[in-house]
Amino acid sequence: MRTIVCVKQVPASNEVRLDEKTNTIIRDGGEAVINPFDSHALEAALALKEQLGGTVAVLSMGIPAAAEMLRQCLARGADEALLLTDRAFAGADTLATSYALFQGVEQLGDFDLLLCGKMAVDGDTAQIGPELATRLGIPHVSDVFSLECSGDSVTVQRELGGCVQTLRLPLPAVLTVTRELNVPRLPSIAGVLRSETVEIPCRSAAQIGADEAQCGLKGSPTQVVATFLPQRTREVVELTDTAALLPIIKGGAGLGTGD
Amino acid sequence: MDKQLILPYCDLYAACLRDESRTVGHADSVSFPRSEDEVRQILHALHEAGTPVTVQGARTGLAAAAVPRGGHVMTTGGMDRVTGLRQENGRFYLTVQPGVVLLNLRKMIAKREFDTAGWSEASLTALEAFRTAPAHFFPTDPTETTAAIGGMTACNASGARSFRYGPVRPHITALRCVLADGQTVALRRGQHFAQGLHFSLPTAEGGTVEGDLPSYTMPRTKNASGYYVAPDMDLLDLFIGSDGTLGVLTELELALSPLPRISWGATVFLPDEEAACRYAEAVRSQVKCAAAIEYFDPGALDILRQRKAQGDVFATLPDLTVAGDGAAVFTELHCDHRKEAMAALATLGTLAEQCGGCADRSWVARTETENETLRHFRHAVPESVNSLIDQRKQAYPTITKKGSDMSVPDGRLLEVTDMYRRTLAEEGFQYASWGHIGNNHIHVNILPRDMDEHARAKELFRRWAAVVTQMGGAVSAEHGVGKLKAPFLTIMYGEAHIRQMRQLKRLFDPKMQLGRGNLFAVEDEA
Ligand SMILES: Cc1cc2nc3c(=O)[nH]c(=O)nc-3n(C[C@H](O)[C@H](O)[C@H](O)COP(=O)(O)OP(=O)(O)OC[C@H]3O[C@@H](n4cnc5c(N)ncnc54)[C@H](O)[C@@H]3O)c2cc1C
Ligand SMILES: Cc1cc2nc3c(=O)[nH]c(=O)nc-3n(C[C@H](O)[C@H](O)[C@H](O)COP(=O)(O)OP(=O)(O)OC[C@H]3O[C@@H](n4cnc5c(N)ncnc54)[C@H](O)[C@@H]3O)c2cc1C
Repeated sequence: MRTIVCVKQVPASNEVRLDEKTNTIIRDGGEAVINPFDSHALEAALALKEQLGGTVAVLSMGIPAAAEMLRQCLARGADEALLLTDRAFAGADTLATSYALFQGVEQLGDFDLLLCGKMAVDGDTAQIGPELATRLGIPHVSDVFSLECSGDSVTVQRELGGCVQTLRLPLPAVLTVTRELNVPRLPSIAGVLRSETVEIPCRSAAQIGADEAQCGLKGSPTQVVATFLPQRTREVVELTDTAALLPIIKGGAGLGTGD
Repeated sequence: MDKQLILPYCDLYAACLRDESRTVGHADSVSFPRSEDEVRQILHALHEAGTPVTVQGARTGLAAAAVPRGGHVMTTGGMDRVTGLRQENGRFYLTVQPGVVLLNLRKMIAKREFDTAGWSEASLTALEAFRTAPAHFFPTDPTETTAAIGGMTACNASGARSFRYGPVRPHITALRCVLADGQTVALRRGQHFAQGLHFSLPTAEGGTVEGDLPSYTMPRTKNASGYYVAPDMDLLDLFIGSDGTLGVLTELELALSPLPRISWGATVFLPDEEAACRYAEAVRSQVKCAAAIEYFDPGALDILRQRKAQGDVFATLPDLTVAGDGAAVFTELHCDHRKEAMAALATLGTLAEQCGGCADRSWVARTETENETLRHFRHAVPESVNSLIDQRKQAYPTITKKGSDMSVPDGRLLEVTDMYRRTLAEEGFQYASWGHIGNNHIHVNILPRDMDEHARAKELFRRWAAVVTQMGGAVSAEHGVGKLKAPFLTIMYGEAHIRQMRQLKRLFDPKMQLGRGNLFAVEDEA
C-alpha cells in the first residue's frame, strides 16, 4: 500500500488580518503549522500502513521553510517527503497549484491512495483534491469521515446534508478527509530523532519537468479584481417608549441590518 | 468608615462559605475591599471585638483554608489590579494586588498589555522597555488557573514546573500585609532578617512586632506545611505560606522570568509504577533542562481510557488503545537551543528503554497544537476522576475523592510509592495517582465506593502522614494545610512546635482573629 498525502503549511492563527491600506493579507512571519485537516489525512495514511504495510509519502508546495513541516510528518511516521519550492510557483491559483502538485505526484511514482485535507484553513476553496483527481484521471470522494481499505478498493463514508453516503472506489483514488476521521498521533521520540537528520528533497519547477507557463501567476487564470475589509455596522438605539419598537421589529426604522 | 464596608451575611453571599474542598462553613458578615485602605478600615473595625476573620482569594483552595467558621469573611478577589512595573538589572518586577487571577496575569504578561491607569512615570517607562524585551513569564503553574495571586502566596502554591522553578516563594520579591489590628508591614526581600530565631519587624505605623520563631527544622522537600521558619531567615518568607493566619496580603511584587525559547514535552510509557519511579529519578539527575516531571499511574490511565471510550470532550485524547500500558511519565523541557532540546530528547529515549519503556511508543510535543494535546491529556486525568466521583455522589451525596499532597526527600520515592501501593491494596481501595514525581510528590486519589471507604481513606492518610514524616517529608507539599490537614501538621511537627507556632501567630494577631482553625486549632477551641 503506497499512500501520498498532500500537506499545506498554513498560518497558526486563523485570524486573517488585512492591511487596511493595501487590502492584502498581512503575512508577518507568524508561526506556521500543518493545515489541521492534512494532519488527519496523514494519520489515516499511517494507520493504513500499520494495517496493510507499505509506505507513506508527503508532498507539499510552499516556501523553503515548509521543509520543517514535512520533517514533522516524517517524525510522525511518514517514510518520504518532497517539497516543491520555486519562485515560479508563486502567485498560483488553484489551477496552477494542482498542476504543480500533479507534477510532484508524478515524481513520487505509483501510488494506491492520494489523501488531501477537506480544505486548507487559509485558502478555503476545497478545490485541490478534486482538481488533482481530474488531472490524474482517477475517482475521488470529498469530505470523507470514515474509511476502510482492502488492498485494491477503499470503502468510505461522507455526510451529505443529514444523510450518510457510503461509497466503494477502486484504487488508485483521491480522498479529501475531515477531522472526524481520526485523532492524529503525536510523533515519538524515536521518530523525532530519525527525522532530524533526514535531508528533505526540494525541487524547482524545472527539476520536476513542469511547464512554467502553467505554474504560478503565469498559469493562473483567476484574476483578483479587488479585496477589501467587509464593513460590519452595528448601531445602538436607545428607545424611550414601546411604540418605537414595532417598526424595528417589522424591519423598518432605518436600522442597519449589519451582520 | 466612609461607606458600608462590612455587610451582614445573607444568602446572596453563600459562595463565600465554601471553597473547592467542598466544605461549607458559616459567617455573620462579609466584606469585599477594593484597596489596602479599605482592608485596614475593616480590620480596624473588627479588632476591638476580636471578631474572627477568614480571608479569601479566589476560593479554589483544597484544604478549606478559606472556609469560615463564623465571624467575618473578607474576600480580596476584588483587589485585582496590576499597579506597576519595575526594571532592575535587566529583570522585570510586577506589582499586583492579591485578587489578580493567575489566568489573567498570564494573559497580560504574554500580551504585554496592562491597565496602566494610575501607574507612575517610572512604571510606564519600565513598560516601554518590557514591550521591546524578549518575552517573559510568571513560572508558577498550579493546575487551577483561576487561583488568585494572594491565595497562591498564602499557600505557597506550586505546579508542574515547580520542579525547575520552585514554588511561588522565590518569585515573590516584596509584599505588603495588613495585620489584625490595622497596622501594616512592608517587606522587601533582602531587607529584614531574623537574628537566629529572634526577630523584630517594624510596622509602617511606627510599631514593632518582636519575638521568637518556632524551633523546628523544615523538611528538605517541596513543602507547604505550616510556617516557613529557619535561623536568620528573610522575614518576607514568613508571610509566604502563612495560610491567611498572620495578616491580609494587600500587595505583592512578582519577579518575572525570561520565557525559554524552546518548550517541548515528551510522555513515555513504562511497564509499572516502579519502572516509572526509576525513570523519573534518572531524568532528574541526567536531563538538565527538565522543567517538569509528571506522573500518571496505571489507575489514572485506565480511567482515561474508559472516559475516552465514552466520547464527548475526551474523544480527542490521543489513543491509549494498548491495554496494560502501565504508567506514564511526562517531561517538559525548557531551553534556548534546539540542539540542547534534541540531546535531552535522545536522553529521555535512552532512559525510557533502560527502564523497560520504548522510544517508539512515546509522545513528543513541539508545536503549539501538540503541546495543547498533551495539556488536554494531563488535565483530563483529574477531570475524569472528578466525573467518576460525581456519578458516585448520586448514591452517596457527601462522598468526595480523598487526595493526598505529601512529598518525601530525594532517594525515598521508591520506598514511599511501595508503601502507598501496599497499604492501598490492603484496604482494597480503588485509586488513581498522578502528579509531581520529579519532586517525589505524588497525589494519590482514593475513589471511595461508599461512606465506610471514605472514612477509612481519611484514616489511611493519617497513617501515611506519620510514615512520610519519618522519611523526612512534608504532609502538604503544595495545597497548604488549611483546616482539613491541621491534624497532619501536628503529626509532622508535634504538639510542642504547634504551641510555638501559636505563640508566633499571637505576636502578629494577639486576639487570634485571622484564619482561625487553619494550621492548628486556637487554644480556646482545642
Ligand atoms: C490569483 C491568485 C494568486 C495566489 N497567490 C498565492 C501565493 O502567491 N501564495 C500562496 O500561498 N497562495 C496564493 N494563492 C492561494 C492559492 O491559490 C491557494 O491557497 C491554493 O490554490 C490552494 O487552495 P486552497 O488553499 O483553497 O486549498 P484547498 O483546496 O482548500 O486545500 C485542500 C487540500 O489540498 C491540499 N493542498 C492545498 N494546497 C496545497 C499545497 N500548497 N501543497 C500541498 N497540498 C496542498 C491539502 O491537502 C489541502 O488540505 C493565490 C490565489 C489566487 C486566486
Ligand atoms: C482543580 C484544582 C487544581 C489545583 N491544582 C493545584 C496545583 O497544581 N498546585 C497548587 O499549589 N494548588 C492547586 N490547587 C489548590 C488551589 O488552587 C491553590 O491552593 C491556590 O493557591 C489557592 O488560591 P485561592 O486564591 O483560590 O485561595 P483561597 O482558596 O481563597 O484561599 C487559600 C488560602 O489563602 C489565604 N488567602 C487568600 N487570599 C489572601 C490574602 N489576600 N491575604 C492573606 N491570605 C489570603 C486564605 O485565607 C486561605 O488560607 C488546585 C485546586 C483545584 C480546585
